[in-house]
Amino acid sequence: MADSTKNKITVLMVGNPNVGKSALFNRMTGSNAVVSNYPGTTVDFTKGTLIEGRQEYEIIDVPGTYSLEPRDAAEEVAVRMLRDCPDAIVMIVFDATKIDRGLYIALEVMERGMPCIVAVNMMDAAHDKKITVDTAGLQRLLGVPVVATTATSGEGIRELAEQIRKAQVADLDAILKRLNGENTAKKQVSGCGGCGGC
Amino acid sequence: MVAVGGAEQMVLSSDAVLSSDARWEMVDRLTRQTVTYGTYKRTLGDVLGELTVKPLTGIPVAVAALFAFWSIFCSFAGALVTDGFMVKLFDAHWLPWLQSLWPDPASWHYFVFVGDPLADNCFEAFGVLTSGLFVSIGVVLPAILIFYLMMTVLEDSGYLPRLAVLVDSVLHRVGLHGYAIVPAILGLGCNVPAVTATRILETRKQRFIMMSLLAIFIPCGAQLGVMLEVIPDMVGMVFLCLIVGFCLFGYILNKVIPGENPEILVDVPPYHWPVKENVAKKLCNRTKGFLKEAVPFVLFGVLVVNLLYLGGVIQALAAFFEPLFVTWFGVPKETVGPLIAAFLRKDLAIAQLSVIPMTAYQMFASVVLISIYFPCVATFVVMLREGWKELIAALAVLFVVVFAYGGLIHAIGILLGVA
Repeated sequence: MADSTKNKITVLMVGNPNVGKSALFNRMTGSNAVVSNYPGTTVDFTKGTLIEGRQEYEIIDVPGTYSLEPRDAAEEVAVRMLRDCPDAIVMIVFDATKIDRGLYIALEVMERGMPCIVAVNMMDAAHDKKITVDTAGLQRLLGVPVVATTATSGEGIRELAEQIRKAQVADLDAILKRLNGENTAKKQVSGCGGCGGC
Repeated sequence: MVAVGGAEQMVLSSDAVLSSDARWEMVDRLTRQTVTYGTYKRTLGDVLGELTVKPLTGIPVAVAALFAFWSIFCSFAGALVTDGFMVKLFDAHWLPWLQSLWPDPASWHYFVFVGDPLADNCFEAFGVLTSGLFVSIGVVLPAILIFYLMMTVLEDSGYLPRLAVLVDSVLHRVGLHGYAIVPAILGLGCNVPAVTATRILETRKQRFIMMSLLAIFIPCGAQLGVMLEVIPDMVGMVFLCLIVGFCLFGYILNKVIPGENPEILVDVPPYHWPVKENVAKKLCNRTKGFLKEAVPFVLFGVLVVNLLYLGGVIQALAAFFEPLFVTWFGVPKETVGPLIAAFLRKDLAIAQLSVIPMTAYQMFASVVLISIYFPCVATFVVMLREGWKELIAALAVLFVVVFAYGGLIHAIGILLGVA
């Protein structure tokens, strides 16, 4: 722990366009990334620093992308960032009203074997639309930390920052088994032994 | 179910291990277990959202919104702040004070910093501390303040993607798709972020067309602010000229350049009330950016132009380019000075035009020429960052356009008997 305070850990914020990555990023790092209400506001990456529990994180706000097969130059930036930072933790940001789209890119990221954490953002909008998201259930199924946030009001940001260090490499096989109702809790513990992420 | 690649967790290659279908099936099962949808009542926002995206109701709304945007811009920046306050402050107090204070009106430093000792307004004096400060603080600052305030509202409310859907069919004719309206509107504020924003366009062809048209035909907020002061009656005509040029050359580029112009799927977000803090923050950052980067550039621009005048460089260039300027473009040879300034800052160039004695038509033609001529140096640098091949090609397009369109406007002027 003592020497890990010296090393910065890179955290890439990845997700669909217009889910509030930049707003979350500003909240966590106190930066001034431009935030708007249209897809494609962020077309280049922005870096910021977050210090949480004596660990310094370099948070990178990455342009939004619908998948990891880029359609345009902004999405190419996102895919390139993932490729160039193989040791990074990936913070996957969801729009709580469009969980399915977020999950799609989450699975793509998880397939790459990078440690992940999920932020289910825009919980206020989901609440207004009478959509409920079982974040605890999602966390159990995915086997990575899942935190509910509302970037505009700042709700859940504290917890999200605290949970970054618990980011996990997701095991797709185990996710499938859990979806089929199998209990993989024991396997999870054994799978956790070597990762050193905790 | 497609098999998942064993128990290997460390798949570091970029090749996906799941097929897209398998992934969607997993997504489906995950959401079924974790997301529940309650009964949702449509809100006023949803109704407005639909009305503003359907052509029948959306187009009138779009016209009204853009017209309101423009009217507020003109009345606030032009009439209220600049004419009502800044002109009085600078012409009645700042200029006479400097003229009385600065020693030796015949010296070179008086010429560079204060300018013409006989000038009675800050446009004509053309010194670093007179016109330089007046243009940047008195004219451009209020213009970009109000422009960015309104643009932030457009951005944060969620109206831009709807506008994109509405203009999609028109922009398809010039080789772009509706989403190109986003860099276009950003460009009306400043071309620099707009060039980077072309990354949201899908193909290289679209990006190239947009970048070229942006650099050539879209005037920035600073330039608009000065145009409102210098040629308030002709701004509409200049705009029309630029829009016609945008469409004409977009149409040609679309035919000439190989590549695709695919249809788009626009993700239209629900309307939001702009968050006050976010609006304030953006406005503050953009204004700070202007004060830190643009103002020194304007002052530096005046300095360079004045030194070039003192060194006789501009007079020599004017004599050299006289045939081209007078016979081809139909503007006075002195326009060379502003054209040099235009490379640094276009707002400055337009301000400089006001000093040159010429007819209304010549004024109009030179303003258009300055708009479509070379992008300012800041835009040039970001274009270079997006790719040097594209930049060179865009410059080639630019030369052709300046000559062709500049000549065309002169020809029309001659036919109408005004040139």
